Amino acid sequence: MKTPLHRLLALGATAVLATGTLTACGSSDESANGGTPVKGGTIVYAHEQEPPCIFGGWIQQAYISRQVLDGLVTLDDNDQVQPWLATAWKVSPDGKTYTFTLKDGVKFTDGTPLDAEAVAYNFDYWENKGGNSTAKVSIDPYFKSAKAIDATHVEITLTHPYTPFLTLITQGYFGIQSPTALKNRSAKENCEQPIGSGGFTVAEWKHGQEVILKKNPNYTSWPATAKHQGPAIVDEVQWKFVPDGVSRYASLTTGQTDVVYDVPTVNWKEAESKFDTTLYITPGKPVSAYINTVKGVFTDKLVRQAFSYGADRKSAVEAGFHGVIPYEGNGAVSQATPDYNADAAKDYAYDPDKANALLDQAGWTGRDSDGYRTKNGKQLFVKFPYPAGAVINTEGAVVLQVLQEQWKKIGFNVKLIPATQAEVFAGKYSGPDAYDASPFYWTSPSPSILWIVWRPSTEANPNGNNQSFYNNDELARVIDEANTSTDPAKASELYQQAQQIISDNAVTLPLYTQNSTYAAAKDLKDFWLEKSQGEPVFADAYFTK
Amino acid sequence: MSALTLPARPAIRFDLRARPGTVLALLVVAFLVLAALVPGLLTHRSPTAIDLQNNLAHPSWSHPFGTDDAGRDLYTRVVYGARESLGIGLGATALAMAVAILLGFTAGLAGGWVDVVITRALEVVFAFPVLLLALLLISIRGPSVGTVIVAVGLGSAPGYARMVRGQVRSVRQSGYVEAAGALGHRRTTVIRRHLFPNAIRPLVAVMTLGVGQSIVWASGLAFLGLGVSPPSSEWGALLDAGRQYITTSWWLEILPGLVIVLVALAVTSLGRTLQHRLEGAAR
Repeated sequence: MKTPLHRLLALGATAVLATGTLTACGSSDESANGGTPVKGGTIVYAHEQEPPCIFGGWIQQAYISRQVLDGLVTLDDNDQVQPWLATAWKVSPDGKTYTFTLKDGVKFTDGTPLDAEAVAYNFDYWENKGGNSTAKVSIDPYFKSAKAIDATHVEITLTHPYTPFLTLITQGYFGIQSPTALKNRSAKENCEQPIGSGGFTVAEWKHGQEVILKKNPNYTSWPATAKHQGPAIVDEVQWKFVPDGVSRYASLTTGQTDVVYDVPTVNWKEAESKFDTTLYITPGKPVSAYINTVKGVFTDKLVRQAFSYGADRKSAVEAGFHGVIPYEGNGAVSQATPDYNADAAKDYAYDPDKANALLDQAGWTGRDSDGYRTKNGKQLFVKFPYPAGAVINTEGAVVLQVLQEQWKKIGFNVKLIPATQAEVFAGKYSGPDAYDASPFYWTSPSPSILWIVWRPSTEANPNGNNQSFYNNDELARVIDEANTSTDPAKASELYQQAQQIISDNAVTLPLYTQNSTYAAAKDLKDFWLEKSQGEPVFADAYFTK
Repeated sequence: MSALTLPARPAIRFDLRARPGTVLALLVVAFLVLAALVPGLLTHRSPTAIDLQNNLAHPSWSHPFGTDDAGRDLYTRVVYGARESLGIGLGATALAMAVAILLGFTAGLAGGWVDVVITRALEVVFAFPVLLLALLLISIRGPSVGTVIVAVGLGSAPGYARMVRGQVRSVRQSGYVEAAGALGHRRTTVIRRHLFPNAIRPLVAVMTLGVGQSIVWASGLAFLGLGVSPPSSEWGALLDAGRQYITTSWWLEILPGLVIVLVALAVTSLGRTLQHRLEGAAR
């Protein structure tokens, strides 16, 4: 396997960081696992964000829909695609046709068969019926059609070869739902209780509190990566929404919950000693700020570069997250992403002198009474809204405040505006007039995420995800060539070139990696995270006495 | 003639020896006012100066309140936060009073259907908790100091308005107002000279209490992340930020919390003293 060294390093780092439950799995020695396994029971899990629907295009939705829906294929810990609903697949020599063989006899929890027709219907649902925005943009550029050949064979045709295709469909956005349910039920029912073939079904959603997941006793379609064969071992999962990190972690320490998501990093050391912990660095676009390149001060590349040089992001991240969450210097994709460009991550190391020189060069030479730079009487002002809670937690907010103070020293007046989840979903801070810089992540197991985020937005083919409003045809060409290249080495080189172009133009401000940190009670075994984006898996988990 | 005698203007005098609590309260409020007006006198540091090497430092001589997660001096942040906290407290109370006086006097003086409409409307608004009204307004306008002032001010106005209306009605029926009317004074003169001062006087104390209450409400909103924008060190925002560290760096939560309690106590205690004096003088 021709894998670039840095990619191996990135993988290695991820693997090393995944401690506790991930490494403890697979041992058949019960005493080593500490206790006798028990059948049944209820896992109480505390999550941070409550999504608008169980299934959808946000990673927070993939986390929960993974419990209810199965996918065609899954990703193992070595980034290899493994069977799930599809037991085998064939790729045509031209790389444009994928034929999947489905596991026989799988039924949705409404009793209808999960056959090739159903799979083809789901592809059409994501792509043409607004079923899942992220599934759509992931395959959009190259997807042509999906059709059932017979009951157990489905054929997906692409317009071009698209090597990341298999890896992309391992994400939770590609969970297969019952076409009967999708067609015959109301939008509200499909939103709140999607019908799949997974290890659990949604019994009830108490909004603002929890989703009750009940075991599917007829489960037959676990993935090849499952830790056990058969239906879920526990009877129920109570998926609670606890937005406050302190309360979430406290609920674990007091035994009210068995597993918690996003452990406050200040408690991480203690959590490591008391619980089984997992730190998963999510591949895809890290937490980095989109920089508005069409309006305001950042239309000037020199100012963008000065902004990147002008604050010690690395030290701020290390302090703000107490050394637990890694700094990410590559704003295009995170270090856990295949074909990561580690050199680009080193650009823009903290250099206030250089930042000052760039701003002088850009003509921001005046100073107002508050010490901020001015040019032709206009202040060097940066409007910086950030999705508080949903994307930037309280620790991330401190990082931004540290940077704000450093930017102030070189003459930037950065106004931080915490935006609520409701405001973000309502689109209050979207569009070129709404911000100068605003941080977001976009997880993906493949560097092809670059196409989603950086595809030029044209009138004929707008790209609402290009939130730096940065149209660079050369960049688009390189990413497209990488996506359609059948030579992995060539593709890797091109993806890295694309990251370098993004870095050179300073159209995104790198901050830190998006992560899943989990802590689980020691008496809960075989709770694990799948590889594509760290979706938690409860179907194999069991308690010990 | 006694019915015609105007109530004596109360002499606001504090017997310092008799009430050490009042002295303490006055000191706290003096410190607060000083912090709000000239914070630079009380600390030489900047409230936003970052020192990552010294973050989460315990309280010590050089950092009496310790430092926060970005190494900022917490004492300095509390001092600089006073302006916003006090500003919100005073601003919200002033707004509440203005609205209350307008509505209360209109209802109390006009009587009839105007009174009925205003009273019923106030009762409807009164049925909602202040914080709920504030949350509604903030969700529409987005969080900022101005919005918090308006939100807390409008939220607490109905209670005051009812009080003003009651005062207006009772003063209106008092002997000296009737006498002034009987003596042929013009209505506006009666309102200005007799009704207004006597209806408002008892409210001065309530207003002082309101300042303390508004500071607490504003802190509550900031604690919910709905107050002021970072890196402001408004006290509620400090509490919100410190929450994360309650088990590991107690000072970040406990000390700003104590300051809020102390200030609310001091302002309330002064309000009560004022109330006793004024009521005593008025009776």
